Amino acid sequence: MIEMLGIRKTYWMGDNPVHALNGVSLTVGDHEFVAIVGPSGSGKSTLMNIIGCLDTADEGVYRLDGQDISDYSERDLGVVRSRKIGFIFQQFNLLMKLTAYENVELPLIYQGLPAGDRKGRVTEALERVGLGDRMDHRPNQLSGGQQQRVATARALVTRPSLILADEPTGNLDSQSGTEIMALLESLYLEGNGLLLITHDRDIAARAGRRLHIVDGVIESDSGEGERV
Amino acid sequence: MKFSQALKMAFMSLKSNRMRSFLTMLGIIIGVLAVTMLISTVQGATSEVTEQIQSLGSNLLIVNVMSPKETYYTVEDLEALESRDSIAGVAPVVSRSASLKAGANTTTASVEGVTAKYGRIRNLSLSAGRFLCDIDVTARSANAVIGSETAETLFGTGDCIGNTLYIEGRAFTVVGLLTETKNSMIGSSDNVVIIPITTAQRLMQSKEIPMIYISAETADSVEEAQVAVDRFFLRELGDEDYFTILSQAAVLSLLDEVMGTMTILLGSIAGISLLVGGIGIMNIMLVSVSERTREIGIRKAIGAQRADILTQFLIEAVVLSLTGGLIGLALGALGLSLISTAFDLTARLTVSTAALALGFSAVVGIVFGSYPANKAARLRPIDALRYE
Repeated sequence: MIEMLGIRKTYWMGDNPVHALNGVSLTVGDHEFVAIVGPSGSGKSTLMNIIGCLDTADEGVYRLDGQDISDYSERDLGVVRSRKIGFIFQQFNLLMKLTAYENVELPLIYQGLPAGDRKGRVTEALERVGLGDRMDHRPNQLSGGQQQRVATARALVTRPSLILADEPTGNLDSQSGTEIMALLESLYLEGNGLLLITHDRDIAARAGRRLHIVDGVIESDSGEGERV
Repeated sequence: MKFSQALKMAFMSLKSNRMRSFLTMLGIIIGVLAVTMLISTVQGATSEVTEQIQSLGSNLLIVNVMSPKETYYTVEDLEALESRDSIAGVAPVVSRSASLKAGANTTTASVEGVTAKYGRIRNLSLSAGRFLCDIDVTARSANAVIGSETAETLFGTGDCIGNTLYIEGRAFTVVGLLTETKNSMIGSSDNVVIIPITTAQRLMQSKEIPMIYISAETADSVEEAQVAVDRFFLRELGDEDYFTILSQAAVLSLLDEVMGTMTILLGSIAGISLLVGGIGIMNIMLVSVSERTREIGIRKAIGAQRADILTQFLIEAVVLSLTGGLIGLALGALGLSLISTAFDLTARLTVSTAALALGFSAVVGIVFGSYPANKAARLRPIDALRYE
């Protein structure tokens, strides 16, 4: 459950303020599929980074699952991130020196899970994204679509309540993009909250709810409760 | 995150940059090598000299007299000291370097005039013949005990007992041959001719006795004996500046002090190279942190806490410095065994030196690793992710 009230975030380009978010208020339920759309520089990524606890707002209140985390320190936000959120990035962001298996294992290592418990979960996550036979491959031995699937497995291996995807299909060909979206939608159908940023109208159309952001404010919100 | 996991990660990252890791380690390797070699060599030399001093006997006191006045105490006066409970024996010595001749051979050696007790007090052993006895002293006999080197120069390798040698023209009969003491750092006693003190005083035309060896009853009574000896010479000479009393303990503590200072001095010079190695580690860790900014961002985004990143980089630094330390130690041990054989020294790597070197390199790793590691851990995930 995401509750945001009057969120503002300003960056400084030299002496010029850039109002990335200019008073955003938003409530997202536990099990929604939300697409965030809007032109470049509209503040969508900033919004997602704040939701994902990678960044903090300058002003406003942010409650995640009832917890007010507006004033959390970097350390405390790290804990929230590790327990509740799974990230998928446009550039995959896999560690190139690690195998697919090791990349997916990493979030569990940081959660402090013992090695014995990790193996089953990592294997399960990789099989879930259809890469059970590519576990020992490094990212440079995998196609873009496969890399994004590894990243998806890495996001879901901690069983987060919320999956955040920043243009997950942006760097993929349409075939791979469709596969990744099918995977994300199935995760949503299994009970995960799903928030994604996209430029693709077709993908946005599949979401239960569309937020249109322009110049740091929500210009339109198709509202809660809709289903695919 | 578990420590073993962090260790594994650190090794993986160091392995992926082999050449750089090795070059960074080189500074520590050289530093530890220098520290272990220098300290161990000084320690080896110290223990050798200490051994030689200890071989003098722990009960021994040596009195050196440097009086500007003519001194009047006699051999008999000195022997009165022996009546003290704490003193076992008193051996006055007069000595001078003199030219020797036997057949066609000539040499120069130290001629020492002593009493019969001298041999026992100095722990001298004979390889042939006998030492001087009381009758030699009272009768001012012309008998001599000679050192092994002197014997070889004058008489060759054959038996020399009963032969005649001339000390500044006066004939003496060789009655004893001293056992070879080998090369000693505190003066060779192999090139020496020992004659009765009475004969020597006449030969040297002097009644003065500039040096006296005194042995205490036991090691425990050395201090008591020293007090008695001090009192005796103060009364005889009238000024404590006119004589010095050396005890083994005093010499050893002086040696200890000198060698301790040497160790610290050399150790710190070598320590500086370790410090330079540490700066090298810090430098490369800083480069590594900025190269891996994006990696740090990813790790933080998927759940790494500040402490996880800190540990990872700190462990990398310590692994670098400790591995360097171990290699340096191994090379040091090798170098020391080479030096020992080459220079006939007993320089061995002691456990404490090894522990010191390893401990110091670990500390260097922690100290110089913590700034870069802290820098990495403090990176905000959003900034780190945006970094290209």
